[in-house]
Amino acid sequence: MFAITPNTLSTFMNSISKYIVLLSLLLIGIATFLIIFIENDYYQGISFKIMFIHVPAAWLSLAIFLAMGISSIIGLIFKSPTAFTIARSLSPIGLIMSIIVLVTGSIWGNLTWGAYWVWDARLTSMLILAFIYLGHILLLYSFEHFQKSDFAASILAIIGMVNLPIVKFSVDWWTTLHQGSSVLKIGGPSMTNDYLITLLVSFLGIFMLTMYWFSNIFYIIIEKRKIERSKLLND
Amino acid sequence: MHIIKLNKQIKKRFIFLLIIFVCFSTSISLISYSLKDQIAYFVEPTDLKDMNELENKYLRVGGLVKENSLKFIDGSWVFEVIDQNKNSINVIFSKTLPSLVEEKKGIIVEGKLINNTFIAEIVLAKHDENYMPQSAIDKLKEEGKWRGD
Repeated sequence: MFAITPNTLSTFMNSISKYIVLLSLLLIGIATFLIIFIENDYYQGISFKIMFIHVPAAWLSLAIFLAMGISSIIGLIFKSPTAFTIARSLSPIGLIMSIIVLVTGSIWGNLTWGAYWVWDARLTSMLILAFIYLGHILLLYSFEHFQKSDFAASILAIIGMVNLPIVKFSVDWWTTLHQGSSVLKIGGPSMTNDYLITLLVSFLGIFMLTMYWFSNIFYIIIEKRKIERSKLLND
Repeated sequence: MHIIKLNKQIKKRFIFLLIIFVCFSTSISLISYSLKDQIAYFVEPTDLKDMNELENKYLRVGGLVKENSLKFIDGSWVFEVIDQNKNSINVIFSKTLPSLVEEKKGIIVEGKLINNTFIAEIVLAKHDENYMPQSAIDKLKEEGKWRGD
């Protein structure tokens, strides 16, 4: 990974981004169709269908932070600009995903629990994750040079990784209002296969869309880095 | 010679990051372990038996609504919250219940315990992580595999 230059990765992603966006639109189309025509839950009725946005966004917000943390570690250890640029481009996508989780979650919560927001362990740790994303972005853009901001933001990303198992296992470690995990849990998924397929198609569609978005942000940041480098050389 | 020097630096940076990560994860886990009673969102009726000075203390109790206990008497809802160990408390609630509150389903009540009756101020419905359509339940019932209810 650290042997790959940012340029080769960017060229590769640009060459496949057209197919990725088409695939993501196709998958999101199929998922929308499935979500509309699937049967309602026996207990929650139609309101549970918001899960097909809420859960993929939640998985992605955790997975993106994990990827960000790992690329920050690689960047700091090997001084790799590629890894730093990956972390920098992932951060805004993760923030948007965690905001989607919080918003869809409170709509769902109001429909089923009877409250938009409670301070239980899952909801609070998810809010903290969103704030860490926000802090990461603020750190990335509060220094003049890439080198300093990459260092500061990477340390935050590595420290912030401590929060990931707390978000994931908060429903098992403490009593919460939020329900437990339905898919990634011991004993297999606790939903019927048609729901599971809809969830996975929806997840893949949103994942592909974030990949497309990631490749665009990555390209922009590489161009910015080139401008900064040429400025430094001219001075 | 150059490669050896680089490896040394990489090792140094790796150890630096490892120390940061271990320190933070240890401190966070110690904090959350010592605060585990505060982090827990609710207690079960069984936990109330071990607690002292329950009168007039603001509590959050969770469990299932007991079968055949949900009644509407004199303008307020009366029901029992039961947990896995079959311990239960009587609850009175004088506002509108969330639409998902049903017998044998999860519930969380917030309020005070006065004379062995829980006066609830807030009631929240707690649904579990199982999702299935009615048709799947009917099919399971036909096959005699349905364990719920």
